[in-house]
Amino acid sequence: MFRAACGLACLGIVVSGIAQEGHPLTGTWSGDWGPTTTQRNHLTFVMNWDGKNVTGTINPGPDSIPVGSVLLDVTNWTVRMEADAKDQSGRAVHIAAEGKLEDIASWHRKITGTWVQGTTKGDFRLTRD
Amino acid sequence: MRHAALAVLVVVLAILLVVPASAQKSFSATYDSERQVKLEGIVTRIDWVNPSAYLLIDVKDAGGTITNWAVEFGNPLELDRDGWKRNSLHIGDVVNVEGNPARGESRQAFAKSVILKSTGKRLFVAPARRAAAPAAPAPRWPDGRVRLGPPPGKKGYWGTASVKALVENTGVKIPMNDDGLLLNLTDADRVAPFQPWAKALYLRRQRMLLKDDPLARCLPPGGPRQFHSANGFQFIEQRELGRILVLLGGGDRNWRVISTDGRPVGQAAEAVLSYYGTSVGHWEKDTLVVDSVGFNERFWMTSGGLPHTEALHLTERFSRPDLNTLKYEVTVDDPRTYTRTWTGGWIVQWVPDKEIEEYFCEENAESTFIR
Repeated sequence: MFRAACGLACLGIVVSGIAQEGHPLTGTWSGDWGPTTTQRNHLTFVMNWDGKNVTGTINPGPDSIPVGSVLLDVTNWTVRMEADAKDQSGRAVHIAAEGKLEDIASWHRKITGTWVQGTTKGDFRLTRD
Repeated sequence: MRHAALAVLVVVLAILLVVPASAQKSFSATYDSERQVKLEGIVTRIDWVNPSAYLLIDVKDAGGTITNWAVEFGNPLELDRDGWKRNSLHIGDVVNVEGNPARGESRQAFAKSVILKSTGKRLFVAPARRAAAPAAPAPRWPDGRVRLGPPPGKKGYWGTASVKALVENTGVKIPMNDDGLLLNLTDADRVAPFQPWAKALYLRRQRMLLKDDPLARCLPPGGPRQFHSANGFQFIEQRELGRILVLLGGGDRNWRVISTDGRPVGQAAEAVLSYYGTSVGHWEKDTLVVDSVGFNERFWMTSGGLPHTEALHLTERFSRPDLNTLKYEVTVDDPRTYTRTWTGGWIVQWVPDKEIEEYFCEENAESTFIR
């Protein structure tokens, strides 16, 4: 219990003190998407700003999905992402997501919004790790 | 049972640590300069700690109700430099305070004047002008190179910067307050050649009155901001070791190393990212030219909230035309944040015959509570 409490306490100190102050999308994000609150799919989303474009990868690893485009509208801090994946049968599946960037000043800022993957519509939520 | 008690203790300690870390705000985020408050009260406590001294006073309202106010009145190092001491005021003294109240409902104010009621004496005011060091040429090493530190056998350090925030040097003055808040947000385009995302982020920080400033959470003042510190800085030239140490009076007594041993300029991709970057310097006649890369993205490189990315490359030029003057010029090259390189700078005055005093940002944690 003591270790758990210490861990939580130390995490609290770190969370309160440090943020990433550069391009607000840069970093590793994690969360999930799905058509219902119980039917969810894990997401790890790595994004990087190269000065002209935001590049990204969904779920890095053997089944990673390169992100086709990420657009940040700074007038309202909305993010639009598009990617092309393959389903289990190997058919191409288009992914389109649009969300709102929230709590920008926090290291653990969030993006929440709608996620359309093929014919499946749902929502997604990402938190910067 | 013992472990459970320890666990509770740890969580409580963590909360105590977290609260003050987020409680130290810039003036603009904390106080409303558009409003004034006049208070008369009895001093119940004096906190003479960095970065701000506070006095707590019991104030009786028209209905006879007594409330305790926290009145911030200056940086103890500067107050001390101006001849004021903790015992310039005593518990039980009655004072009249005029100042700016805190935003919101908290009973806190920043004093513009504190007057001792019994004598009418005005307390904690700065002299009209601090004594400047006598004019003298820049000190030099035996080989003729300019010294950035004190003359041999003397003391001193570099003090207050001539401007409060880094902006592009275009010859046009941009009105802003001491926190780097623009008086007119439409001036943002004159501050620096922002990329759209960077301008949006800068404006957001400005509109939020800089309340998310990492420096207000006691994180280090990386980049040019280290030379804006109210508590000054010092160069220690270790020529035999091929390096110059920059000792910072602000930012929790941080230090930075500038290598002058002829090593190549670092590449950002190779460097361990840090608040002060990896710095390599060389002399061009009487000017120290320093290239720095390898910055992390956890700080604002100046008050006012200028953003940057890990691609930041700074070229700083330090020159000392005379004993009392340091010219600082910095060229900002961050193509992920700005549309072109740009240059700004300022002058820093020498503080003679004194050493940088001890300063820890978090020392004031206890004093920043609001009652």
